[in-house]
Amino acid sequence: MNSNLKVNYCGIELNSPIVLLSGCVGFGEEYTRIDGFSNSDVGAVCLKGTTNEPRLGNQPHRIYETPDGMINAIGLQNPGSDFVINDILPTLDKTETKFIINISGSTIEEYGELAKKFDQTDIDAIEINISCPNVKEGGVAFGNDPDMSYRVVEICRQNTTKPLITKLSPNQTDIAYSAQRCIDAGSDGLAVINTLMGMAIDIDSRKPFIGNNQGGLSGPAIKPIALLKTHQVYQVSKKYNVPIIGQGGINSAEDAIEFIIAGATTVGVGTALFYDPLICHKINDGISDYLLRNNIKNISELVGSLQLNDFSSPCDS
Amino acid sequence: MNKSHRGSVKLEDCEIIAHKKYEADQFVLTLASDYISNNTKPGQFVHATVSEKLLMRRPISIMSVNSKENTFDLLYKVVGDGTRELSKRKVGEQISVMGPIGNGFNFDSVKRPIMIGGGVGIPPMVALAQQLNLKTQKPLAIFGSEVEFPFEMEITDKSYPFIENPATMSLLHEWGIDCLLTSNSDFQGVYKGYVTDLARDFFNTLSAEELKEVKIFACGPDMMLKAVKTLASQLNVECELSLEEFMACAIGGCAGCVVEVETETGKSMKRVCVDGPIFDANSIFQ
Ligand SMILES: Cc1cc2nc3c(=O)[nH]c(=O)nc-3n(C[C@H](O)[C@H](O)[C@H](O)COP(=O)(O)OP(=O)(O)OC[C@H]3O[C@@H](n4cnc5c(N)ncnc54)[C@H](O)[C@@H]3O)c2cc1C
Ligand SMILES: Cc1cc2nc3c(=O)[nH]c(=O)nc-3n(C[C@H](O)[C@H](O)[C@H](O)COP(=O)(O)O)c2cc1C
Ligand code: FES
Repeated sequence: MNSNLKVNYCGIELNSPIVLLSGCVGFGEEYTRIDGFSNSDVGAVCLKGTTNEPRLGNQPHRIYETPDGMINAIGLQNPGSDFVINDILPTLDKTETKFIINISGSTIEEYGELAKKFDQTDIDAIEINISCPNVKEGGVAFGNDPDMSYRVVEICRQNTTKPLITKLSPNQTDIAYSAQRCIDAGSDGLAVINTLMGMAIDIDSRKPFIGNNQGGLSGPAIKPIALLKTHQVYQVSKKYNVPIIGQGGINSAEDAIEFIIAGATTVGVGTALFYDPLICHKINDGISDYLLRNNIKNISELVGSLQLNDFSSPCDS
Repeated sequence: MNKSHRGSVKLEDCEIIAHKKYEADQFVLTLASDYISNNTKPGQFVHATVSEKLLMRRPISIMSVNSKENTFDLLYKVVGDGTRELSKRKVGEQISVMGPIGNGFNFDSVKRPIMIGGGVGIPPMVALAQQLNLKTQKPLAIFGSEVEFPFEMEITDKSYPFIENPATMSLLHEWGIDCLLTSNSDFQGVYKGYVTDLARDFFNTLSAEELKEVKIFACGPDMMLKAVKTLASQLNVECELSLEEFMACAIGGCAGCVVEVETETGKSMKRVCVDGPIFDANSIFQ
């Protein structure tokens, strides 16, 4: 790995700015089935959204392809925090990369309990998912109300000294305000963005394709939105040196660089793995080449280096 | 730390060696791959990019392998945008293929494997037939289709109580494997009815002892699989079914492709891609 790709995220040293996103890579080992895929090619792996009790998740179909993206409604299927802690975490090869747990609760207290449980493990960081669009209780309900977000982050903060990352929902009016509240409550990092809510209809049966009726849209289709949200959140987070994991449709080194310029310190790759499982090599090499070409010694110099046009108007059309 | 699963699936650009069209928008695609042609278990599938226009890959069963030529065959039917895009791909072009994926059938010790395939559920049955040991195993394939069969056929001089001079799939005939065809449409040498009607007639010709040696393997539409499961449980014979579900990663990462499975510890959602696609019939469709 090129040394110019090294980056510090919330005090953790990462070998690459790439973070594999929660829900796309199971519990860390799934993609290693593919010859040539290695967790050591990425800075961190974010594990599947985990709840206190095991969850079976939603009824099929859980995924559906849409133009340049896909809708998913998995419904946080996971084996529960105790299983993750006792049976999964000990099997992960921590020498290859850093691991982040993604936690989700249906009550504020559940988030607190989860933070406490994972605080006692060797996990590198905890990502608070207050933006899952696919569960009935909790999830995005916490993420779309900045005061609720505050309370969720606050209780997690009281229960852990590990780096806390809050994953923000794009399905809200003012993501920057939400970011501010999460930082106030003690979030060390932010993840921007989770999926956007969407739907696809089978016109023959007149039913939604997705068992859960609606789901989260991801992939290149959401990239321009994710990029703007990253830029907006960065206006707040830069004041506190709170780093962002930029994500949403990243498909190439160029996409990743755009997010970094907009203010992301690290970049998430999720849906792209589904169609290009070995994409991380290309992204690492592409970023590294870009840095060399532009005489930039380290990614950190590029973060938030966006030069806005000074004639942009508040009216977009 | 058990890492034996690592690296078992390859991602390659495979050259299209042949691409043959059959009736009713069915195609047989021959692709070059040293790895897949030499490392595939019957019942496994590939996850293939169909064209530059569509991001997501499509899962398709491996129908047969040719380890001398280092090629493998897929049989697919055009049902939507993805398979239509695939059908436009030409000999000499390359397509990105990930495979082989999935658990495969448990068939080694089965004395009388009965392979039931419906429509585009036929390919995994052909794959299974190819790996049987005819010295120890006495197989029968039963293939059903409502449109013309997507393969070369020939009439045999065999005779069963329920059909004289049945038509068969030439490839299986070449391999020395008995194969009967069935359809509700009228085709020469083809039994009239559902695959389960034909299977029932065949099982009636077996003694109780012979029936005990039977294990059914099936792939096809859910309706057919449910009927096969019922038949198997009525006859009290073992049965494995190959399932389909929409897939994103096809490597176990997204939990997008699940099916409800009954396990010793209760209900569980299993991933069709890596926990399947083959499941014990008793554990599904509860
Ligand atoms: C393990 C496995 C093996 C398969 N083997 C074969 C085979 O050998 N031959 C064959 O013709 N077909 C096979 N299929 C089905 C094949 O994957 C679908 O027909 C194909 O994905 C349809 O894509 P489409 O874009 O043309 O259709 P559309 O209906 O437009 O597809 C829309 C979306 O739904 C998904 N989808 C639709 N139907 C299915 C389905 N039955 N299974 C999985 N995903 C589906 C598609 O992948 C796509 O994402 C298999 C499926 C699985 C899961
Ligand atoms: C199948 C699937 C499952 C997901 N599961 C989770 C999850 O459990 N927790 C979470 O915080 N985000 C989850 N996400 C959201 C992703 O982590 C990511 O934020 C989003 O998909 C945007 O990135 P992408 O376009 O690169 O996929 C999931 C996304 C997908 C596609
Ligand atoms: S398709 Fe992702 S787990 Fe099966």
